[in-house]
Amino acid sequence: MLSLIVFLPILAGLVILAVPSSQKQVIRIISLVAALVQIVLAIVIWRGYDPSLAGIIAAPGGSPAGSFQFIERVPWISLDLGGFGKLNIEYFLGVDGISITMVILTALISTIGVLSSWTIQKQVKGYFILYNLLATAMMGCFVALDFFLFYVFWEIMLLPMYFLIGIWGGPNREYAAIKFFLYTLFGSVFMLLVMIGLYFSVIDPVTHNHTFSLVAMASQENYIKDAILGPDNVFWRYVAFIVLFVGFAIKVPMFPFHTWLPDAHVEAPTPISVILAGVLLKLGTYGMMRINFPLFPEVFQASLFVIGVFGAINIIYGAFCALAQQDLKKMVAYSSISHMGYVLLGLAAANSEGMLGALYQMFNHGTITAMLFLLVGVIYDRAHTRQIDKFGGLASYMPVYAGIVTVAWFASLGLPGLSGFISEAFVFVGAFSSVTTRNIAIVSVLGIVFGAAYLLWSLQRMFLGTRKPDAAYDLEVGSDGHEHIHFHDWKGKLDLDGRELAMLVPLTVIIIILGIYPMPVIGLLTTSINKLVTVLSPVVLTTMN
Amino acid sequence: MHSLIQLSIVVLLLPLLSFVILIFFNRKLPRRGDFVGVGILGTALAISLYMFWTVIVQTYDPAFKLAWDFTWIDFGNVPGVGPLEIRMGIFVDNLTVIMLAMVTLISFLVHLYSTGYMAGDKHYGRFFAYLGIFTFSMLGIVLSDNLFSIYMFWELVGLSSYLLIGFFFEKQSAADAQKKAFLVNRVGDIGMWLGILILYSQFHTFGYQQIFDNLAAGKFTMSNAWLTAAGILLFMGCVGKSAQLPLHIWLPDAMEGPTPVSALIHAATMVAAGVYFVARIFALLTPDALHVIAFCGALTAFMAATIAITQHDIKRVLAYSTVSQLGYMVLGLGVGAYSAALFHLLTHAFFKACLFLGSGAIIHAMHHEQDMRWMGGLRKHMPWTFATFTFATLALAGLPLTSGFMSKDAILASAIGFAKVEGGGIYYLIPVLGFFSAMLTAFYMGRQIWLVFFGESRTHLKPAEEHHGHDAHAAHGAHHGHNDHGHEEHHGVHEVAWNMRAPLVILASLSVFAVFSPDPLDGAKGWFMHMVQTPETVVGRYTTEHASANLSAPSALMAESVQAEPAHHTMTDAVPAANPAHGATEAGHGESAEGHTFSDHRQAELAHESHAAHYTAIIISSIMVVIGISMALIVYAFRIINPEKTSEAIRPLYLFSFNKWYWDEMYEATVIRFSIVLSKMLAWFDAKIVDGIVNGVAIMTRNFAFANGSFDKYVVDGLVNFTAFFVNTTGAVLRKLQTGKVQTYIVMALFAVLGYFVYYLTKLIY
Repeated sequence: MLSLIVFLPILAGLVILAVPSSQKQVIRIISLVAALVQIVLAIVIWRGYDPSLAGIIAAPGGSPAGSFQFIERVPWISLDLGGFGKLNIEYFLGVDGISITMVILTALISTIGVLSSWTIQKQVKGYFILYNLLATAMMGCFVALDFFLFYVFWEIMLLPMYFLIGIWGGPNREYAAIKFFLYTLFGSVFMLLVMIGLYFSVIDPVTHNHTFSLVAMASQENYIKDAILGPDNVFWRYVAFIVLFVGFAIKVPMFPFHTWLPDAHVEAPTPISVILAGVLLKLGTYGMMRINFPLFPEVFQASLFVIGVFGAINIIYGAFCALAQQDLKKMVAYSSISHMGYVLLGLAAANSEGMLGALYQMFNHGTITAMLFLLVGVIYDRAHTRQIDKFGGLASYMPVYAGIVTVAWFASLGLPGLSGFISEAFVFVGAFSSVTTRNIAIVSVLGIVFGAAYLLWSLQRMFLGTRKPDAAYDLEVGSDGHEHIHFHDWKGKLDLDGRELAMLVPLTVIIIILGIYPMPVIGLLTTSINKLVTVLSPVVLTTMN
Repeated sequence: MHSLIQLSIVVLLLPLLSFVILIFFNRKLPRRGDFVGVGILGTALAISLYMFWTVIVQTYDPAFKLAWDFTWIDFGNVPGVGPLEIRMGIFVDNLTVIMLAMVTLISFLVHLYSTGYMAGDKHYGRFFAYLGIFTFSMLGIVLSDNLFSIYMFWELVGLSSYLLIGFFFEKQSAADAQKKAFLVNRVGDIGMWLGILILYSQFHTFGYQQIFDNLAAGKFTMSNAWLTAAGILLFMGCVGKSAQLPLHIWLPDAMEGPTPVSALIHAATMVAAGVYFVARIFALLTPDALHVIAFCGALTAFMAATIAITQHDIKRVLAYSTVSQLGYMVLGLGVGAYSAALFHLLTHAFFKACLFLGSGAIIHAMHHEQDMRWMGGLRKHMPWTFATFTFATLALAGLPLTSGFMSKDAILASAIGFAKVEGGGIYYLIPVLGFFSAMLTAFYMGRQIWLVFFGESRTHLKPAEEHHGHDAHAAHGAHHGHNDHGHEEHHGVHEVAWNMRAPLVILASLSVFAVFSPDPLDGAKGWFMHMVQTPETVVGRYTTEHASANLSAPSALMAESVQAEPAHHTMTDAVPAANPAHGATEAGHGESAEGHTFSDHRQAELAHESHAAHYTAIIISSIMVVIGISMALIVYAFRIINPEKTSEAIRPLYLFSFNKWYWDEMYEATVIRFSIVLSKMLAWFDAKIVDGIVNGVAIMTRNFAFANGSFDKYVVDGLVNFTAFFVNTTGAVLRKLQTGKVQTYIVMALFAVLGYFVYYLTKLIY
């Protein structure tokens, strides 16, 4: 089941390979069908998922079965390294509470992305092949339970992203693409070293071989005491933790490693921005929750304050930077940085409320930010500019668009009744309840005000009031005597058309439902989160050593 | 589930239904669906009145309460805490039922009124949709049984207020005002949120009752300063929403919204939500927190009253008057006059809604003129409006026989009692500011009545250049056919239609004393003060040191006598059932058989002193009101004192008041400028420094790569090339040896063999 949901997009990519590149519509429809089937599969997995199983670590006895679900595990690469022993790499997939929501999110955002890619006209065939490769790699990252396999998916992801920004992007796309590529590659190279170190430090409790299994690595009793990353090697465990953390923090992105994000977003085409903000950023924090923290829990406990401070910097610094932006897409990009700060703060709380808030925030940020970027794309398609000051009074002329923008903007600023509020609220609840991060939480609430400030200010400048003299559109009086606006060389519908509504309405509905009754998502997470908190708690560590 | 709970859920959800129907379908419905809004609110009102009848009239039990809740989020078995659920639910007591009736009544009347006032507007249907979501959120605040859901509804009323203030969003000033309102409220909200976090982090629950129980059981483990901080932070939510100092600045600007909205949201209901919230958490406020609240309220009441006396805009005067009256309510809660403050909330809601709707009628009739300088003489043209407006004014000013008199007097009496209990000194500032503000209130309302309704019309005095500038309604779709009221005297000014008149009459009649109490001089004899009684503090055990330090010996004796003579007590009427939450307070000061007494010394003393000050307060406040009204008459009716000349004489003071104490300018120069400059600096820092380092690293790497490349090319490759050259040269030399001729090889082999022999022989010899 998991293999199917992972490899379905790339199968579609292979089919597309056989379609002549002139058949643009066929290529699009193949991708859309694959994405829709992926959603169906995600729903099947969701319905079949048993939320009472915890995941995170193996069930008693060392076997992942009975803890993880939808497990697929076969030996993949087996190499005899002579004096070094045997290299066992497994094809090992499975889900637990912290990945199931990400699987659903990825399927959802991939589909929205396909719809949003409908307007891509340049080299459609190449575009969709790369897009489907990207979709496979993202999904693979979330379900891989073998570190090596995870790493393979992680690296594969970079390649299509590089080309998707570098070929289909804006004017400065090559700079942005290479920046994205090098930055993330820099993070992952060191991850490779840590991965190998871990391999030689961990023994699978069942097979008694070295293993790349993340499930085995998450239990501290599987470590060889004096191995390179064994419990005795405190120094190297700290180094490994920091190296992994930086690798994942680049993806989040965490201050000061965030500057690739605004550039990548500004240059990327709309669907790629949606994927980038909706799914890719979550891989950073997912990696922390799956790999970085459970593998080095004692280092995690020692770094809570630092992680929390970086979270607070992200929240407030991102909000202030967003306030100063003139380009709407750049503003949304900085708002992403700000909102991912809440995830970091929630993780730093290291209690159930905070961690749950963080994970729920990852899901909600995925849907909300996807909406924000889609909405930016809508106006960019029409006006060919994103300068906030080049608009004004749009609410009078594009009421449906303005209405959905209002919902999305308010969701982003954390209005109760919309999903973002609940996750941010529980991040604060958790962070305040933890003595380590209490003061950080007190400072971070300022983000609530400044988050509202930049969003409301941009809303006012673009949608309220009347048309600005130098706006990107003309006013004309129609035959019915009413005023209309007119975008230069825009032939489509002035307000949202059917395809745009098909992308935006489902997201709006999800945001509202999950804002009122969050249990459909939170119910999947709680057991795993509680387990994760237990695994990470200092009490368990002291009893172990 | 109790049937009253079911009914209250229906009342809560009905306005939401109205919102959903109207936001999606208003254009498809006849009359843009206004009848849907009015009809649904009428139904909600009917149910609320039925609940009021059952609970207040039939049951008549001060201890009545019902609760129902459900699991909203199940956290499972949380490490370190155990099974954890976030529950949400509904709490219904007498106060809830009264608030339900009040909110639905005013909302219904405003819906009805708006069918006249907003007729012909471009977004007529949307207006009713927004009113629906507002009413839903407001009812949510009233019915919430926990801090989390009240915070959610709290922000939702913020949203509906945002939408309604900016209803004429094409106007720049309206768009500014809505943004300002939302942001200023958010500042208050983050305080409230931190207060909620303090309590949650201690007890892992948001429920009021659970928090009170835990506090009463002494489970608060942080220092007492945190408890006081929690109270003050929660109160910050009220400071934002109820427009208290220093976050009051948004409310006057909120008058950019349509006038029915001003009546419903920015006078009667939403702004009172802050006071309602403080009342809900009253039991956990420590004396220190209450002192902060009392001073905040008193200063707000005074400040707003001083501003109101110089404003020209009819709605601005009422807006500042609202701020001032909210200050009274907050002051009342601060001094422990719980019932009186809530009583004032209720009475104020009716007469202030009446005043705003009246001003709306005037503005409507005057073709959207809001400046009182150009009004005058309207009593002849609009007798109904004149009568109701004047009666509501009397209630606001606090004249006997009105509801406002009873509630304001009860607050001021408690303020005197409070000052006595706290040992006088600075605490007398609170009643003094209260009485002084009462005088100012009488003055500015007298001024308003006179300027608007008496004298001759001054429409023709309006300077021509200002004439159309003030036509705020231009954007709102001119439904009068023409706006050129020109220089003709009150061209076409006439009384408003029945759908706008009826709400005025209803609201004015609800401001008569008899609605609330049979004795026009004592609200305590009425049903409200009986049904809504001060809850006992649950934080006594954390502040006993404080309390005993403040209890002088005679007053401690008095506290004892309160128990001996319950007849002296404000809460004379019997309270049969004790609140179970209060059971855990100190022993020895429990419930007496005849009446409600407080086990907490401080509360008992406050109640006693307030009662003692009842007549003092009546006398002083009556004198103050008479002075205020006389001053207004002297200045504006008899023109013995010329207001223009007077304001010139005290110009700095006048400007200070006219410019609203320069609060906006101060915030503009500090907070706003600082934020914008900081955001620009950080954006620069991000682009130039952080990203500069990244690019710098990239450039360095590239330069290093170039250097490395040169090294590679000239040194590494040079070595390689040299090796190649060396090998080549050597090879060339050696190649010479390889002639390909057998003879040469034989000679060489011979030499080799010879060489070997020489070597062997040498070795043999030595």
